[in-house]
Amino acid sequence: MPATVRKLVAGLVLLAAAAAVPAVVPGWEYALDTLFIVYLYGALALGWNILGGFAGQISFGHAAFVGIGAYATALLAGRGIPLWLAIPAGGLLAAAFSLAIGPPTFRLRGPYFAIATIGIGEATRLIALNWTALTGGASGLTLAFAPGIVPQYYGALALCTGAVLLSWWIVTSRFGMALAAIRSDPEAAATLGVQTTIAKTQALLLSAFVCGLGGGVYAIHYLFISPDSVFGFSLSISLIIMPIVGGIGTVAGPVLGSVIYTFIREQLEANFQNLDLLAFGLLLMAIVLFEPLGLIGAFDRFTRKRTAPMPPPVRSAGAGDG
Amino acid sequence: MAEPLLSGRGLAKRFGGLLAVSDVNVDVFAGEIFGLIGPNGAGKSTLFRLLAGILPPTAGSVFLDGRAITGIGAARVCAAGVVATHQIVRPFRSMTVVENVMVGAFFGERPRPRLRSQAHALAMDALERCALADRAEQPARALNLPGLKRLEIARALATNPRVLLLDEVLAGLNPTETDRTVELIHAIRDAGTTIVLVEHNLRAVRGLCSRLAALVQGAKVAEGEPAAVLADPVVVDAYIGRSTLVAPR
Repeated sequence: MPATVRKLVAGLVLLAAAAAVPAVVPGWEYALDTLFIVYLYGALALGWNILGGFAGQISFGHAAFVGIGAYATALLAGRGIPLWLAIPAGGLLAAAFSLAIGPPTFRLRGPYFAIATIGIGEATRLIALNWTALTGGASGLTLAFAPGIVPQYYGALALCTGAVLLSWWIVTSRFGMALAAIRSDPEAAATLGVQTTIAKTQALLLSAFVCGLGGGVYAIHYLFISPDSVFGFSLSISLIIMPIVGGIGTVAGPVLGSVIYTFIREQLEANFQNLDLLAFGLLLMAIVLFEPLGLIGAFDRFTRKRTAPMPPPVRSAGAGDG
Repeated sequence: MAEPLLSGRGLAKRFGGLLAVSDVNVDVFAGEIFGLIGPNGAGKSTLFRLLAGILPPTAGSVFLDGRAITGIGAARVCAAGVVATHQIVRPFRSMTVVENVMVGAFFGERPRPRLRSQAHALAMDALERCALADRAEQPARALNLPGLKRLEIARALATNPRVLLLDEVLAGLNPTETDRTVELIHAIRDAGTTIVLVEHNLRAVRGLCSRLAALVQGAKVAEGEPAAVLADPVVVDAYIGRSTLVAPR
């Protein structure tokens, strides 16, 4: 499969380039910092995409998993647990939480599921806000120490690479086929033997785990977390915007979405507060109207048009097809 | 007589105030083409969905080879070897034709393939049987209605079923396509799959089925040889109504 090989080579080249950045530009913290954010948000977007893109279950509450991962990491690290244990523990805790919310919410379809996830996101934020003894409430948590920017950079790169590999495995596996069938028509999937609730729960579990890990990485980078930052509704929305802009249900799409999201935010936030939101709104509308598969979809269509002829028109009924 | 392969015992389904199926017993034997007929609203499709595990019955049980498969859900019923097609075609529109069929190959009766290549081979085999192999790489939404109906059958076949339930697969087909589908159903039965079909086309039913059951207002009113069932006065009344020209009594 030459297309697969081409994608693999492209991915390895990108990875090698990313890995070389700290050596090429030592001390250029701004570049490392920006790329760190791209990787971190790319990983979070890929995590959301496992459930929202592959399985078609649009969640508006994924900040819950990021927040649980962030708070777990901060609290454990504050008690002297090493980061290489604290961050995975945060991921596992987020995954465990997803098991509790999966069964009730998956009874709901389409918009009802989406509304339920808004509720979950807000409920976790309010718990974090009011459980002052554990979380410090509205004043948030401050981490006393942090690794330098270079280890952070590689940590986020590893997380993003892992999320890409996980996503790639999913789309090429039997499991991914189940999710694609569920996204397309859950009832038809069930009649063909797909255990839809189990498959959705597995997707949610992986999705929550990746976002929980991302929360931990977020915490050690920003050193300060509060309910409004890591449990906030705006974070949940960002996690939806990135995959949709880049290409929902694809592997590269969420990462591309993260690049664009980070770029727009960095450019606009400093100079024109909140103008970035307007930009994202317009971008979303354009994508939904003109290219539902996002920029990846537009790119695919553009390259296919140039390299391959259109498929022949479909023969009509009774034309002896067969 | 031998033990039935698929049977329903005392099946009933209530939707609110409507008793769609009431106390129906059916037995389908291995190697049969068994037909369910009845006028619109007689409960055929509901009974069909009960047998396929798509709907849980209000009362009664479904057995496959003597084993209860009641209320275990469509997915487990499929894995046990009973698979249904949909009356209104439900392709996975975002997938290609062969990917649609691979879903059936991946998740049907055990042992299930692990690898994409294995599922692909099984899917191509099913497409071959349904004369869709040349369309394998096209998007499913590019197929016309007869093609989509055959895709429904191919997907179901790829699950390697012991019993294939066909819900009005002939509806909307022209005579040529109908004949081809009838041939296909015969071929599937000859390859060892037992078939239950719901059908409106009585001419096709007469030629296809080895036995029939007729439903009227949710109850089974006749069962047996097609000729006998189609000539049964209760069935005839239900289809064309009692003549009102003749004075009653």
